[in-house]
Amino acid sequence: MNHKDLGLKAGLEIHFQLDTKHKLFCGCSTEMKEKKHIMTIKRKLHPVASELGKVDIAAQYEYLRDRVFYYQVFKNETCLVELDEEPPHPMNREALKIALQIALMLHCHIPEEIHIMRKTVIDGSNPSGFQRTAIVGFDGYFKFKGEKIPISQVTLEEDAAAKVKEEGKNVIYRLNRLGIPLVEIDTGILENFTPKEIQEIAYTIGLIAKSTGKIKRGVGTIRQDVNISIRRGARVEIKGVQELGLISKVIEKEIERQMNLIKKGEKVKEETRAAKQDGTTKFLRPLPGSNRMYPETDVPPIIVSRKLLRELKRKMPEPLTEKIERFKRNYKLSDLLANEIVKSEWLETFERIVKEIRVQPSLVASVFTSLLKDLKRRENLDIEKLREEHFYQIFSYLEKRKIVKEAIPEILKFLVKNPEAKLDEIIFKLNLKPLHKDKLKEIVREVKKKNPELPKEKIFGIVMGKVRGRASVEDVKRIFKNLK
Amino acid sequence: MYSRVVQNFLKKKKIEIGDRIEIVEGKIKYEGILMPRSELGDTSCLVIKLDNGYNIGIKFKRGLKIKLVKKGKPIRFTPSKLKSKLDKSKPTVSVLGAGGTIASRVEYRTGAVFPAFSPSDLIVSFPKLKDVANLKGRKLFDLFSEDVTPKHWQIIAKEVAKEIKKKVDGIVLMHGTDTLHYTSAALSFMLQDSPVPVVLVGAQRSSDRGSSDNEMNLISAVLTAGKSDIAEVIVCMHGSMNDDFCFIHQGTKVRKLHTSRRDAFQSVNASPYAKVWYLERKIEYLREDFRRRNKNRKIKLDLKINPNVGLIYFHPGLKPEFIKSLARYCDGVVIAGTGLGHVSTNPLKDKFTKSLVPAIKELISSGIPVVIAPQTIWGRINLNVYTTGRILNEIGVIGNYCDWLPEVALVKLMWVLGHTKSMKKIKKLMLSNVAGEIGGECRE
Repeated sequence: MNHKDLGLKAGLEIHFQLDTKHKLFCGCSTEMKEKKHIMTIKRKLHPVASELGKVDIAAQYEYLRDRVFYYQVFKNETCLVELDEEPPHPMNREALKIALQIALMLHCHIPEEIHIMRKTVIDGSNPSGFQRTAIVGFDGYFKFKGEKIPISQVTLEEDAAAKVKEEGKNVIYRLNRLGIPLVEIDTGILENFTPKEIQEIAYTIGLIAKSTGKIKRGVGTIRQDVNISIRRGARVEIKGVQELGLISKVIEKEIERQMNLIKKGEKVKEETRAAKQDGTTKFLRPLPGSNRMYPETDVPPIIVSRKLLRELKRKMPEPLTEKIERFKRNYKLSDLLANEIVKSEWLETFERIVKEIRVQPSLVASVFTSLLKDLKRRENLDIEKLREEHFYQIFSYLEKRKIVKEAIPEILKFLVKNPEAKLDEIIFKLNLKPLHKDKLKEIVREVKKKNPELPKEKIFGIVMGKVRGRASVEDVKRIFKNLK
Repeated sequence: MYSRVVQNFLKKKKIEIGDRIEIVEGKIKYEGILMPRSELGDTSCLVIKLDNGYNIGIKFKRGLKIKLVKKGKPIRFTPSKLKSKLDKSKPTVSVLGAGGTIASRVEYRTGAVFPAFSPSDLIVSFPKLKDVANLKGRKLFDLFSEDVTPKHWQIIAKEVAKEIKKKVDGIVLMHGTDTLHYTSAALSFMLQDSPVPVVLVGAQRSSDRGSSDNEMNLISAVLTAGKSDIAEVIVCMHGSMNDDFCFIHQGTKVRKLHTSRRDAFQSVNASPYAKVWYLERKIEYLREDFRRRNKNRKIKLDLKINPNVGLIYFHPGLKPEFIKSLARYCDGVVIAGTGLGHVSTNPLKDKFTKSLVPAIKELISSGIPVVIAPQTIWGRINLNVYTTGRILNEIGVIGNYCDWLPEVALVKLMWVLGHTKSMKKIKKLMLSNVAGEIGGECRE
């Protein structure tokens, strides 16, 4: 299938939760660490007068008539603002600065005055019946494979409450997610790209946003919507693609679906569909009309001063796209490793270590990426316990040859269980003091003498087992080489 | 409101709010509808609504090219012309509007708020209302609740009496919430022997949002006015943060106790009269001691009032001179005292403390009654427990044993001073329970 011939047009809307201390319009925590709600509030929503006339009201009325919404309240993570019991506080300036920074990195124009809007939502995902949102940048672009990818706008908005379940007419929501700052980046129309390339564009947008170091990680913190149309098909909006790696598949499947309909002579309808885990989609609702938006009169407009813009431009983070290139160039990291380390939560620690300690950057990067992943996955260790100082010290010991790199996994395993332990103690306890060259030679000779009939590789294996964590592979190899 | 410079420019270009305009600034081009702007932010920023619904502000400056693309429709609210038939199986309720968010409607393009008081506007906004009652009604005035004065209480009372004489089954008064409890107290004194319920109602959340408490409060109020047996001045507001029931509060025993919550209004020193279950459309009585509905009873309108009464809050360091100066402005004074009803009397003769006793005495002896009420809000005044109280009682401060709210004491004193100037009669009337403002037996 040639996508150019299909006339594939796509648009991306990518949402990122910001890792700020507080929510966008109140002082609640954005951590979502509370497991159990402390109370539940019951609400009804009623239709609101509409510009679109009575039909819309009737539809809203029908939808809302029997629906009762239950909102779960979480300690420190919900207050009267989320419950629509108190007017919003001023917009979180930390969130605003991050959003503006992202907009600037995407070469957007920044409005001189930001106006916060209320976008009507009647699915209950916001107890107030609307979502607060504001344009913080528009008409930007970024470079992808030498081409300018248009960014139509960057908005800063409140995340919605997450639905717990729906039982008949009762809908239950958790209010802890509501109000977490969310940056939405919308591309212009993407033409002449393959689904794979569109996925890469989404990935690049993610890298740019993550350059701020203030994007939340974890399941559900980044959500993607994709708009797709093909020639003779229709515009379909696919909501909630949870994983970036699914985007190309979702597009392929949607093309397939539309092609099949066209082949059968059926008309493709404009609609909103929901993405499923396997990349297929299901019908959600007809495509909504334009959003009903009106001013949020409880929050004054925000003047974006030249001073603030200057400050933001001065503190502009290095885009991860550029960082990747720099790591490959200066630190000789592979493309894969460079991509992995910039996405790692240890990126800052990595940069500090390779700057201040003379160790091989690729080793440091692989400790932070593959080794930690292994410890977590294979050994099921709680690597959250590890801190920057742990790594800093390990690598300075390595620099001073107080340990060998082969000792690192053992030390980390020990530290996970005893985060307060002193490194010297660990080395002593686990017997990880590097062997002197002479001692090493002695061991090699001994092993060889005991197993004269074994081939060299086998002997090497036995030696490595004996000196585990106390000698580097390279040193042992060198001794073997010189041994005749 | 735009700054003068912007206004003049727009005038010259014949551009009005609501018009579609184009603004070019260097390479950037904006197109959208020119919006009115709030006084907050930078008033020299032009606010336009882009086609995707968002507003942004563009600083008006030299080099900006602004041109009219298309004239727009003026921004205003079009009242509804819906006609509804009289349903004889349902009660008829008069809905009167005295301002407030409750029945305002939003023009969604701009966020501008318009009052919507005609019964047909109400039915368009709240279709369920027509299942509850036949509606009549009109707008009395359109005021922020904090701009309501004793003069307005008189106008409202007169209009309510007029409606009652039309033999409706009940009255609903839509009112801003900030001073709603002052108005409910005033009406309680002014409208005596009402044959039907007079229900005050407001909303804590603006009417543009699907979550506004206006619908539940208004439907519950109309239901109460039309169906309940409580022929008194009462307040109907959310009972909790949930959308399940409203409380019906006695008009003289209710106060706004929260700046923003839906359930800001709570009964103080009394139980509410009833709960109105909103979804079930059911009234559950919590008390029996109210005046019953009786269509044959004649309403007594007693509008006399003297608004020259002040309510002051006692606090540490309050100067006696300040109390004395009240004589210049007030014909009566209510002091919200601490604890059981105290102000500084300095019986221990501390060198830093200034007793207010001489100042209060001076007021009373010049014919200005001084009434005490609890700034604790909850509880009853008792001037017998501490020396301070006994001193105040002795010098003639009125209010011993009263569990009235400071605001209610204020309104009552205005009403009492509208009837008499004799200190003896003032005291007698103040201490007699006129409209349920004093709970329990309190006379010596």
